[in-house]
Amino acid sequence: MTTILLVDDEKLVQRSLEKTLLRAGYDVVTANDCASGLATFEANAASIDLAVFDLNMPDFTGLHKPGAGLDLLQKVIEAKPGIPTVVLTAYDEVGKAKEAMSIGARAYFVKGREQGLVELIQGILGKTA
Amino acid sequence: MKASNSTGAERQAALLQASARVSRSIASILDLNLLFNRTVDIICDEFGFYYAGVFVVDESGEWAVLRAGRGEAGRAMLAEKHKLHIGGNSMIGAAIENRSGRIALDVGKEAVFFRNPFLPKTRSEMALPLIAGDEVIGALTVQSEAEAAFSDDDIAALQTMADQLGVAIANARLHRQNQDLLRQAERRTRLLHAANKVGKEVTSVLSLDELLPKMVDTIVEAYGFYYAGIFLTDERGEWACLRAGYGEAGKAMLAEGHKLQVGGSSMIGTCIYLNEARIALDVGEERVHFKNPHLPRTRSEMALPLPFGKKVLGAVTIQSVEEGAFSQDDITSLQTMADHLAVAINNSYTLEALKAAHAEILRNKVYEALTVATTEAIHWIGNKALPISMTIARLKEDLAEGQPDLESLGEDLDLIAEASEMIVQVKEQLIGQAREQQPRPVLLADILQAACHTRNVKDVKVEIAPEAAYVVADSTQLARALGNLLQNAVEAGATSILFSASSDSKGQVYLTISDNGAGISAEVLEKAWTPFYSTKPDHHGLGLPAALHVITQLQGQLQIHSQEGAGATVHITLPASQPIGAEISGQPAILLLDDDDDWAQFFTACVPGAKRSEKPSDVDLLLIDQNLESADFDPLIAEIRGAGLAAKTIVLTAAMDVDKMTRLLRSGLGDVRLKPYSPAEIPALWQE
Repeated sequence: MTTILLVDDEKLVQRSLEKTLLRAGYDVVTANDCASGLATFEANAASIDLAVFDLNMPDFTGLHKPGAGLDLLQKVIEAKPGIPTVVLTAYDEVGKAKEAMSIGARAYFVKGREQGLVELIQGILGKTA
Repeated sequence: MKASNSTGAERQAALLQASARVSRSIASILDLNLLFNRTVDIICDEFGFYYAGVFVVDESGEWAVLRAGRGEAGRAMLAEKHKLHIGGNSMIGAAIENRSGRIALDVGKEAVFFRNPFLPKTRSEMALPLIAGDEVIGALTVQSEAEAAFSDDDIAALQTMADQLGVAIANARLHRQNQDLLRQAERRTRLLHAANKVGKEVTSVLSLDELLPKMVDTIVEAYGFYYAGIFLTDERGEWACLRAGYGEAGKAMLAEGHKLQVGGSSMIGTCIYLNEARIALDVGEERVHFKNPHLPRTRSEMALPLPFGKKVLGAVTIQSVEEGAFSQDDITSLQTMADHLAVAINNSYTLEALKAAHAEILRNKVYEALTVATTEAIHWIGNKALPISMTIARLKEDLAEGQPDLESLGEDLDLIAEASEMIVQVKEQLIGQAREQQPRPVLLADILQAACHTRNVKDVKVEIAPEAAYVVADSTQLARALGNLLQNAVEAGATSILFSASSDSKGQVYLTISDNGAGISAEVLEKAWTPFYSTKPDHHGLGLPAALHVITQLQGQLQIHSQEGAGATVHITLPASQPIGAEISGQPAILLLDDDDDWAQFFTACVPGAKRSEKPSDVDLLLIDQNLESADFDPLIAEIRGAGLAAKTIVLTAAMDVDKMTRLLRSGLGDVRLKPYSPAEIPALWQE
């Protein structure tokens, strides 16, 4: 079973995405900020095949910070080099997208085009769940 | 009386009397021309001589100038500006030179006699020096048609008179000098006043459009000049443009956009170019004078630079209709004034530059705030819309598969409902801000109570000074604003909230809401006023901007001071107010269901006979305070309905909520109304 780590501070977004991914056949572990995201990742590092991070959420100190998702991305990639990652954001920012890609994200996904998220994840993983 | 017809004794007596009259007559005359004319008239009339004249030594000391002469001959000689050289061959010239009288009893025999064509009949002449102190100031000429006309008595009497005339001339001159000194002192006083006025205006008036016209008016009026104008150089320093001009000439030149080239041939242009005052005491002699058709009477002109540091900001032109009009005092005081004016002009320029810089900063800040607000709004909308569309997509797939998981379906519907509710709340917040406020005197304690009640905020410590009891506000909007601020404190983890209000003599009420919550970092505080910005995931970020909007609309101010980890203090300023009084009578039997709070005390004090209770009973009018804490509201309404009292019941609220209102009206209650806060608002409860 393919396991996806989903980190988003918006509980409705998190739950809805979780349900969509579950429905698509993936196992999903969730967290709602950088600190709990890293802890969840470290606890399940071996089994997590792909991670999805929101871009703007509380950082490692718990304070809301624009772009905090990139800090978590950095730490996850350092801990598990090569792990496929997707960064979620509410709008398309070229600068942030480039930064995410330079850190090692495989995709930068703008919320609202969620119909393609499952296909995107499937494409990254090279297979259906 | 003719000298030749008198006996010696009579004549001597007449001379003494005439001499005494002359003395009395001239002693009190301080006007020199009058004094001279009176003297020659008295000599001719009293002594019966043919002609008398008065000569005065000019400033050069070389000439004796005729200042008064008897009859036609005198007038003709005055018109010709008749003067005789001192020490020359005239009797007058010799009398002055030698400081002694000369007598020619037959002028034909007097070598120094000057044959005067205006006085052809003269046969005897006497020239007497006019001496004051040690100075010979002129001479008196007395002439007769008779040969050997002057006796020793005449000579003695006339010399006495000449001596008295000398003293009188000296007195008159002294008087004139005193008058001049007085005029100078008065002028200096006026100049000091003008300088003082200019000093005050240059420090208090920052608008050049206001300051410069005042300056030209002050200069012209204080110094009595013909015209004053102020030129300022343009940005490139090429032209001096008239910015203020006195009177009609000034208006006309301003309308023409009058300007002079810096370094050109005008006095202003030269003055600015050289940074030097230019003074033309007779403008005809000043090569660089600009002949101005608007100022045809100018005879003296001064151009003073307006220096600031190494720059010359412009120049002041001052013009007079008199030649040689400017004294050294004028020049010194006007240049000092110009120096002060230059400082004021520079201050004004600096202020303009600061305003421009401030406007640019403001534009940048507004743009930045809009950008942040737009970004936050997009983020917020994206996050709220995403679950809806995603959940709908899942539902469609589930339905298409024909085997929906009812539990999952229910959860999906909840997700949609919750996301939709957040969007509706934002809409309400935005509508709230857009709604027009209806300010009136409101009881601050009750509005605070409503805010706490609505947001379920407990244990707020309240300290409201009696003079701060009322503010001008829309009760619904102020309750909403205070509710937002209290909710922020609670969500920041505050365990203690203090609400205080005080007032001052300026008619302002100062509110503070202090809490011991987590506080706000400077970075967050800067963005906290931006709509849709929130550090809390489930918030729309409109609470603080909405509160700011409400308070600003009420002509108030809202500020937050906080340090991370050290709580926060909200400072609000609102206009103070007083309730509007009215005599209340003819009221029905009223029962108020309320706690013993500030509003209940206000109401029962205003309405004689109104009773307060926490239990309903049958009366003409049953009023319920929606803030009621001592009883559960919904069961109370049910009890009222059960007792058949619903139609007689009015629910009173500080903050009208349309949803709550319609729900209560649907349940059969008589009405839901905003609470009255002034006696004048109370009778409407039973009259409408």
